[in-house]
Amino acid sequence: MRKHLQKIAASLILCGPAVVLYGGFIVFPAILGFAYSLTNWNGWVNRPRYIGLTNFRDLISDTVLPQAIRFTLFETLLIVVFFSFGSMLLAILLDKLKIMKGLIRGLFFYPYILSILVGALLFQYMANFREGAVNTLLRAIGLGAFAQDWMGDTSLVAYFIFALVAWNGLGFFTTVYLANLQTIPTDLYEAARIDGAGALTVFTRIQFPMLLPTLTTNSVLALITGINLFPQIVVTTQGGPGWRTFTVGYYIYYLGVLNNRQGYAAAVSFVTFVALVGIAGIQVALLRRRQVAL
Amino acid sequence: MKSGFGSPVSGLGFNTGFLRHPKPETRNPRRRIPVLEAVMLLAGLLFVSPCFLALLNSFKTLPEITLSPVALPKTLTFDNYAYLFTGVKLAKPMLNSLLMCIAVILSLITTAPMAAFSMMRRPMFTGRFLRVFFLAGLTIPFQIIMVPLLQQFRLLDIQFTYFALLVHYVSWGLPLCIFIYSGFMSTIPKELEESAAIDGCGPVSTFWRIIFPLLMPCTITVVIFWGLWIWNDFMQAFIIMGTSKGQLVFVQLWRFLSDKYVKNWNYIFAGVVVLSMPVTVLYLLMQRRFVKGLTAGAIK
Repeated sequence: MRKHLQKIAASLILCGPAVVLYGGFIVFPAILGFAYSLTNWNGWVNRPRYIGLTNFRDLISDTVLPQAIRFTLFETLLIVVFFSFGSMLLAILLDKLKIMKGLIRGLFFYPYILSILVGALLFQYMANFREGAVNTLLRAIGLGAFAQDWMGDTSLVAYFIFALVAWNGLGFFTTVYLANLQTIPTDLYEAARIDGAGALTVFTRIQFPMLLPTLTTNSVLALITGINLFPQIVVTTQGGPGWRTFTVGYYIYYLGVLNNRQGYAAAVSFVTFVALVGIAGIQVALLRRRQVAL
Repeated sequence: MKSGFGSPVSGLGFNTGFLRHPKPETRNPRRRIPVLEAVMLLAGLLFVSPCFLALLNSFKTLPEITLSPVALPKTLTFDNYAYLFTGVKLAKPMLNSLLMCIAVILSLITTAPMAAFSMMRRPMFTGRFLRVFFLAGLTIPFQIIMVPLLQQFRLLDIQFTYFALLVHYVSWGLPLCIFIYSGFMSTIPKELEESAAIDGCGPVSTFWRIIFPLLMPCTITVVIFWGLWIWNDFMQAFIIMGTSKGQLVFVQLWRFLSDKYVKNWNYIFAGVVVLSMPVTVLYLLMQRRFVKGLTAGAIK
């Protein structure tokens, strides 16, 4: 009996702090968020009152939300494609290097260790219309006609945000691929070489199939990065020009923190979360199936 | 490797082969010009060129940056750096951030492995339940919990305090840390604990005396990952701490220097350089550790 009690006490000591912290400050707010989505809570000092599913009904007539969802999905698409295939290509090239491996890989990885804010500020500087480095360079080499307001133009700003995210994350996704590439046994390459396979055949027959597990991981991580896109917006465009760069994450921030519409913000975040889990689930399932087929 | 050059001409006493074979590369494929390496090096340098630009421009005055953004500075001015410590008062936030990093890391490297250890040796059901419970945390985005969390901190009367931020950072970090520690712990042989138990060691002291010292590689990963993450974070710190009291570094930088319309790029560049410097130095010193630590969650 005493032994049993001791065991329980030990588990409490070992597991307790983690369960209390994580349960109390991550899981509980997430559930609380759902509860708040059923209320008309607006303003920190007001008492939330239960209003049923009104917030969810309001979602349908919201005009900003569809725009935010469209923009988020567009960015997510760019990000997923780039981090799945762009970084795969880069990893394969980096894997081929014979000399200066560490240096070159280090260069590509470097932006990943910098703060998002650093990347955002540098890109904002470069994209500036009047004094930015990109436009100055273009004017210097006589291509001044191509100078653009990269961040203020409604049709370019989406690519500006994408470039920012891509620059920050490329090193990470490439490294994950590289780690996988290094696990491919060298005799596979040897055999391919003896059979006279070119680089393209090696890629389609050996590297790509062997990289599929990482493709799954990377595309899901890229999906999460894309759908959660939000600090980058806060520090660069703040949703502008117009409502053009509102992402769902930024919209929640805009409603819940800047505009005191916490109840409605909770409804938006709940719907987003369900959608995110759904999309990620479908993606994993699809890629798993494909993995088996190959 | 044998030299690719021709045989030395006897009598001269040194290798004159290069005179007769001006293009030895064509004879030995290993001596080819590393085209791919050169291209990739250039691409890599171009990739990090914004950072060089920031470094370069941090030594210029604002008019000079506007006129010649990519030229070398005409005269080195350190006024921008001086302003960071007199005008922006970045010294105290730097200390705040450092202390926050230490506090969060110490909490994480004790609570996370303890939880992972206690989950490992549990009967199927509770162990699996706890694992799923913690893993679910990896999918919860910050925006979802942001608003209710602020309310919770307000009700607990710790709103806008360092303590609230510490609590948030630790609980935010726990799922990934537990994930990393669990993966690592499954490689530790069971006999180790069993023999400790025979010697009369309870679970808690078994953990501290036997298991914890073995977790060093994992702990280094966690230290690098979360140290970097917290130093670089500004969004969560900004939302949870507000703008009222003391700040962490990047929040301070953002508040003072990134006005939406007027930008003092000279100060921004100096700030960016100063705040990225500690991270960069550490990265240069232990690149491998960094890369391993930062991708640990994805590769496992």
